[in-house]
Amino acid sequence: MSEFRNLSHMLDTVTKAYKRKDALYFEGKRISYRELNEQANKAANALASMGISKGDRVAMMLPNIPEFVYCFFGVQKIGAVAVPFNSMYKGREITFILNDSQSKALITLSNFANLINEIREDVPSLEHVILTGQRTLVYVTPEATLNLQIVCGKSKFSSPEEAFRKIGEIFVDVLQSYGVDAWYKHRGGVRVKGKKIATILVSEIENLLTVNVVLFLAHLDTRDLFKVVWVTPEIKDKVLEPSTSVEEETGTRPDTGEFTDALMKVLKNRLDIEIEPGSMKRDELFGYEKVLSLAVK
Amino acid sequence: MKRNEQTWRLLVNTKGQAVDLYAYPSALIEGRLAGKYMLSKEKLPDTVVVQSFTGKGILAGADVEIDASAAKNLQMQTAKIPRSGRGGPKAVGTYDYADLIKQASKKFTPAEPELDDPAVLLYTSGTTGNPKGVMLTHRNFISQTELVDAIMPMYSKDTIILVLPLFHVYGLSNGLVCGTRNGCTMSLIPQYSPAKLLDTISSSSATLLIAVPSMYMHLLQLARARQTKIPKSLRLCVSGGAPLPVNTLNEFIELFDTQIAEGYGLTETTSAVSLNKTGEQFKAGSIGPSSPGIEMKVVDDSFQEVPDNTEGEIIISGGVVTPGYWNNREATEEMIRDQWLLTGDLGYRDSEGFFFITDRKKDIIVRGGFNISPREIEDVLAEHPAVEESAMVAVTDKRGRETMKAFVVLKEGKQTDASELLQLCRELLAEYKIPKVIEFREILPKSATGKILRKELRDEQGSDQRLILKEAPNE
Repeated sequence: MSEFRNLSHMLDTVTKAYKRKDALYFEGKRISYRELNEQANKAANALASMGISKGDRVAMMLPNIPEFVYCFFGVQKIGAVAVPFNSMYKGREITFILNDSQSKALITLSNFANLINEIREDVPSLEHVILTGQRTLVYVTPEATLNLQIVCGKSKFSSPEEAFRKIGEIFVDVLQSYGVDAWYKHRGGVRVKGKKIATILVSEIENLLTVNVVLFLAHLDTRDLFKVVWVTPEIKDKVLEPSTSVEEETGTRPDTGEFTDALMKVLKNRLDIEIEPGSMKRDELFGYEKVLSLAVK
Repeated sequence: MKRNEQTWRLLVNTKGQAVDLYAYPSALIEGRLAGKYMLSKEKLPDTVVVQSFTGKGILAGADVEIDASAAKNLQMQTAKIPRSGRGGPKAVGTYDYADLIKQASKKFTPAEPELDDPAVLLYTSGTTGNPKGVMLTHRNFISQTELVDAIMPMYSKDTIILVLPLFHVYGLSNGLVCGTRNGCTMSLIPQYSPAKLLDTISSSSATLLIAVPSMYMHLLQLARARQTKIPKSLRLCVSGGAPLPVNTLNEFIELFDTQIAEGYGLTETTSAVSLNKTGEQFKAGSIGPSSPGIEMKVVDDSFQEVPDNTEGEIIISGGVVTPGYWNNREATEEMIRDQWLLTGDLGYRDSEGFFFITDRKKDIIVRGGFNISPREIEDVLAEHPAVEESAMVAVTDKRGRETMKAFVVLKEGKQTDASELLQLCRELLAEYKIPKVIEFREILPKSATGKILRKELRDEQGSDQRLILKEAPNE
């Protein structure tokens, strides 16, 4: 019927005809058909090296960024099946789609790492999670949020899994002492019934582990956030997971200092460590100033 | 057992700002890595940082767009995480795309799948139950590119705006696949906002736009306000996903000096099967004639073709039609009969072969034995000058009786009340079609393509799903 044998053949043919022509225009950058095709080949090689082959399903939860295009055609070059789905989907919908399609790999944005972590146990067929893009978005307010960060050697925990679980249990302990009926959900979520009260993200760099926890002490008012980050009105409520806070659950917002003390006490016991107040070292202060100046221009 | 004698360091920052969420751990990591390998012999302790904040703040990755002036007005601190190269922190148990790509070769010998092998699964949500994976084959996509060649040719000199999500059939098939097939330049917009869309049209001198009605409405509002800075480069715009109001269409083609084609299609047909283009052949309210390579018919409940100008269900056959749903034979058999796809859309064909959609089968409301089309009532409400849009939904009242409710969104700055709208309905509609309740809303829930999600409105009301006659896929 057609001059093309398949979508992969289509891209190869078009690339031959329009090598130097711009294929993509993205945030002021221009990407030629030759580059697009090379990037798609790279994506295909990367996926193939992970054991993705003809007929396998590869889920894609990405906005319109060049990586979507590279991965889409990369998947076609392998003869695998792309499963693109709405990047606004929540845990239950994602779990259903990944299980129904039996996707072997998922390519998504780095800021969805937490969302995927939480459901990973429920999607046994998913072997690989590939993260791209730099779309982290954290919103803090003086009333609502408290943040805990840990930087430690990897050897402190037997596995990243254990880091998630231990930190999760520590927060559950502290919250329960405040009368909040919290429970730890697999990898990263502390919840009260279905609602999120704290988010845990564990990252690694070389031999270090970093743990980042955002906890809601009081209701997080997001009205101002949406005046600054534009989201279509129809999907505003879908962007946010249902959340709750200590104040909403107990009627009182805990004192930050007291809460910190309670948290440290549990942290010491559970991790079997001593914690002493300290300050940043010279190297660190230097690094801090440098990062600060780069981030707030 | 060995007693653990580690001492961790605690840093408490009660005057934290959003940027500290990023700056602290970065500094600690840098200090530790440097301390360990290079600068000092002193081993830095493991560290806990607790922070509370003095102001509202956003910490955003390099790819997040922030309205800096709005942030300033709201006294909200914003901090950007600079684009990191290889080797930054990454979430555990995952691969970093940039790392993988860096190691991969730029040559690949393709696997050459067959034309009828599936290329994509696209999940669509039905009225009830779980989403279904629509299988689209290489043949389906290539057939769609041929169809587009025939009805709205695209050229390598075109720049097409890809603002519609690529996870949806419309953006994926008509945008990415057709754009690539014709060697177009594709301008990607990852996060839609009306201003971003208008600016991208200008900055990339776009010639093609495929979008949904709400985007055309937004563009129009912006263009009216800006007047002088309206880009005139668009040679053709395609609207789909939901009907585009005729006055929007007319004003748009005038202000942007362009043409608009309204397309009709489903996920199950790899997007478009028909197109109604402004110009000599245009018919207001129609979805156009069927495209070359596509057969479209209108049939009655016993699957017999009905005469022209008679309402029935629209069915479609052709190379773009899906072979079925992934691992779901039951749903496939319900939707595809003898190579014909049952769309679930009600409509008719006029004597010149133009098709018109009158309603969705599943949206029909049954009241006292009468079938009521929500669209008929919505069209009446739309005649009121203050009404922007509305959605009619069957709900169950407190006493468990079926009743009809209209959700109404008013135009900005305009006002009316329920009694005035009900009066309008009484003037124009049969008694049994008049809504019992009118509720004013700021917005209506919509799908990615701007289709009103009646199901969500019904669900909010705890309504009875039995009011729905037949289940059919949406989008």
